[in-house]
Amino acid sequence: MSDHFSGPRALADPAADLTDLYAFRAPGNPERLVVVMDIFGKAGSGAVFSDAVIYRFRFRRARIAATGPGAAFEVDPDEVRFDITFEVPSGDNTALQRGHCRTPAGATVSFSSNDECGGTGRGVRVFAGQRSEPFFLDVHTILESAEKRQLAFKKIGSDTLYGTNVLSIVLELEWAELLGDGPIFAIVCETLRKGPQPVRIERLGRPEIKNVSMSFKTFDQVNRDLEIRDLYNSEDAFALLPDYVSAYRARLNANLSFWDSLDGKTDWPLDEGGNHPLTRLLLADFLVIDISKPFQETSYFDIERAMLAGRPHSSPGGRWLNEDVMDSIFTLYINGGNGPRISDGIDAPIAWSAKVFPYLAPPNPPKVAAR
Amino acid sequence: MIEGGVTNGTIALRNLRAQIETLEAEAAVGGRSVDERVRLIGLVALRGTIVGAIADYEWAQELADRLVGDAITSAAAFLARAHVRALFHRFTDALEDLEVAEWLVAAPDLVDHERAAAFQGLGRYEEALGIREAAARCAPSFNSLGALAMLHAESGDAERALHLHAESLRRYRGVSPFPLAILDFQLGVMCMRKGNFHRAQHHLTAALRYVPAYGPAQGHLAEVEAELGHAETAVALLYPLASTSDDPDYAGQLARILPYIGSTEDSRHWRRQAADRYDELIARHPEAFADHAAEFWLDIGGDPDKALRLATLNLEVRRTPRARELLHQAVLATNSREQDFYVCPAAGPRSGAGH
Repeated sequence: MSDHFSGPRALADPAADLTDLYAFRAPGNPERLVVVMDIFGKAGSGAVFSDAVIYRFRFRRARIAATGPGAAFEVDPDEVRFDITFEVPSGDNTALQRGHCRTPAGATVSFSSNDECGGTGRGVRVFAGQRSEPFFLDVHTILESAEKRQLAFKKIGSDTLYGTNVLSIVLELEWAELLGDGPIFAIVCETLRKGPQPVRIERLGRPEIKNVSMSFKTFDQVNRDLEIRDLYNSEDAFALLPDYVSAYRARLNANLSFWDSLDGKTDWPLDEGGNHPLTRLLLADFLVIDISKPFQETSYFDIERAMLAGRPHSSPGGRWLNEDVMDSIFTLYINGGNGPRISDGIDAPIAWSAKVFPYLAPPNPPKVAAR
Repeated sequence: MIEGGVTNGTIALRNLRAQIETLEAEAAVGGRSVDERVRLIGLVALRGTIVGAIADYEWAQELADRLVGDAITSAAAFLARAHVRALFHRFTDALEDLEVAEWLVAAPDLVDHERAAAFQGLGRYEEALGIREAAARCAPSFNSLGALAMLHAESGDAERALHLHAESLRRYRGVSPFPLAILDFQLGVMCMRKGNFHRAQHHLTAALRYVPAYGPAQGHLAEVEAELGHAETAVALLYPLASTSDDPDYAGQLARILPYIGSTEDSRHWRRQAADRYDELIARHPEAFADHAAEFWLDIGGDPDKALRLATLNLEVRRTPRARELLHQAVLATNSREQDFYVCPAAGPRSGAGH
């Protein structure tokens, strides 16, 4: 749920509110790439997908264009899309929904929500339904750290998402057949309002860009009063409008510097233009996976780190469901990997994801309210 | 309806309940952040607005009071309570909360939004207009233009309201049907009060297309159908509401309309139901229900003296043209002297609702 409530507009549309994107090579099946889009954090038991939303995965081939301090990707202009849509549930008291995945070849794979076998088509398997939230973090101590300007993580934290559920869409595909040659792909997911000209509601690539990296306004000396995330959400991840890039850059520079300062030393000195070394890479806000590398449980941002260090990467990057990505992010932001791994005190979700389709654990039982 | 459509109203309501379910369960075990508690209050109040559930409003009020008690230095808590207080027509109390929120450095646009709503409720249209127009000029969006449309609708400028409504729709980028349904509902009520029943029927039907379970829209559509001479349709719309809702308005309307189709005995039953419930609610939330209760007692309730007391209270709470008109009618019904009840001689336009 790293992107949950990533802007005021998203609050009105919980079924369009993206929370996380994952991408990994199917464990035990190197021919298959798996992408997971999570929506509607803290979904109650009756939550269903919107019939007015297109849930979209976008894939583009990417190459490493530069390494070292100016590390950057070059991304193809052409892309492959998978659009998933849903019908209105058949009855008031059922969460059963028919869904349809449109493949780039124009074929449609239909499925029923919550069917763990999913729907299958040529080179494609799709699942959609309510699952246990795989993401875990302690929001309270993150906010406290920002407020007090010092790390507030506890040895044993409190998982803000413990026992909660999300709506998940899992797409497993034969990457060579459907995406073409890689081996590196840039991936984003989006929610769009259906219509003759679909309107983007949200987009998501890397975890915790819009919240941990962008939401705090107090450190930003350029746009202190600006709620920047709705604007950011509405942009094309592969083609940011030049008009607003400087605002995003200013916000990231300020917030990343704040995180870097928390251990009392500077691991990420700013360049002469005041830019944080990670800003450029993070503004390329898509998950990057190298499909030629074997599955690995913890490899988020590994490709980018290797690029910054000017060495070849050895892991696939992307993001596996069980990775403690918050610890990875905090370690990256705070000490740049030049110190011990930083823990937020939460090391596991309520239920681990499995290495077989549909990967995410079944939903948790509803909590009982005692009003 | 807007191009591209929005989430099916049944799905949207189901998802609203699903949001409340989780937040409620978490709130019950404590430890939720102020932001999440504020969210829960907003969602519960929204559900109350949509399904017409007074119990939800009361729950939102309870949550907001508790939140302010627990987070006395939180601007968000006072903002949330101001919003709920305005729902109960406690506009002066809402303005006091907004002053505290401002002092606690709440975002000025959020304070302004709630303050304009309170001014609107109090009939201080010029002050509300100043805020709403500034917001629409500064950031013309669905929200700012829609709020301005609602203000014009309530103050009686139908032409401007309809123009702004069309303008706001063009800017809607979301998929939630609730804001659109609420806007059509407000316009429908405006048209109904102006006596333009066909236009009211159009907007209220549109609101129900967005959200079929929109109780107040269904209730007002029933009133409109009755005015158009479709008493049986009106009764069919009201029965399910009167049987399930905790808002006596539906029972009162049903009691009023049933005699037109010859069901006087049934009418008496619903009249009794409505009367008991209004008395209960007036004891708990006098400001919130004074207007509707006064209308009820003035009409099928058959107690003009009670209506006069409530209409007087209502005018004390909100000096709107509609409140003046209601008191004027109560004065006439009781053969009282108008000046004894502080009715401004230049009362606002007469209501065309005529029920």
